[in-house]
Amino acid sequence: MKHMKFLARTVLVNNNNIEEACRVLNRILGKEEILDQYRRTRYYEKPFQVRRRINFERCKAIYNEDMDRKIQFVLRKNRVEPFPGCS
Amino acid sequence: MQALSNIVLKSYQISALRVASSNIHSTASCLKADDRREILASMPKKDEGTEGEKTIAIDQLIQKDRVSMFPDETTPTTLFNGTPFKDLPIVAIKTTKNNTIIQLTDAQGVAQLFNSCGMEGFKNTRKGTNIAAQSTAISLSAKILERGIKTVRVTVRGLGPGRMSAIKGLQMGGMNIISITDTTRVSWNPPRPRKQRKL
Repeated sequence: MKHMKFLARTVLVNNNNIEEACRVLNRILGKEEILDQYRRTRYYEKPFQVRRRINFERCKAIYNEDMDRKIQFVLRKNRVEPFPGCS
Repeated sequence: MQALSNIVLKSYQISALRVASSNIHSTASCLKADDRREILASMPKKDEGTEGEKTIAIDQLIQKDRVSMFPDETTPTTLFNGTPFKDLPIVAIKTTKNNTIIQLTDAQGVAQLFNSCGMEGFKNTRKGTNIAAQSTAISLSAKILERGIKTVRVTVRGLGPGRMSAIKGLQMGGMNIISITDTTRVSWNPPRPRKQRKL
């Protein structure tokens, strides 16, 4: 699908602050993996490289999910005892 | 039966303890720092990406009016300096690894002015630098101002060294930049690209 040109991937500049506008734009493009895809398609990615990359991404996602859960567990705020093991 | 299962359980626990205790070192491994340095040296250099891609500025998060940064359905008819957004002239920047090309078009996309790092007098590898991109943008914006155009929209294409500095150069040259659009061509099912470079 083709998107509207000056509606998609567009950032308006407030008070001539172009640096911030660029940063916002680049961050969104990076998060949506548009820039990654662009870099990846400059040269042909051989099937074994695709498999390796996909497997690596999967492992990373699993690790990140678990780590997020651990961090949330440690940072939880409704403890019965606020400092366990420090009495 | 109960006793037997208890014995089995205990033996399991002991064996588990044994494994655990054998894995504990009482001394630090001697070459740990050296090993680490060696590994870090052999790693490929970490790519920071484009500016702002992987970093988050704190003041950005604090800022409240993020909504005003993004266009909505009223933006095309909003007046900027007396001209609706959709009729503003466009400055199209194309940045590649080896060159930066900047072009002024009217709102319909008809080309009017054109400048590139090569035309600016930079040759060979110097074309692909941010300084070249910036000076190209400054000299083009002087020509644009001669035509009586000051308020423009900017589109950027490609990830080159001139991506950021060309926009900065336009502003330094006196242009009033209303919006920045990314028009990099990205496909998720592209035709087969060229083979990888041999290093």
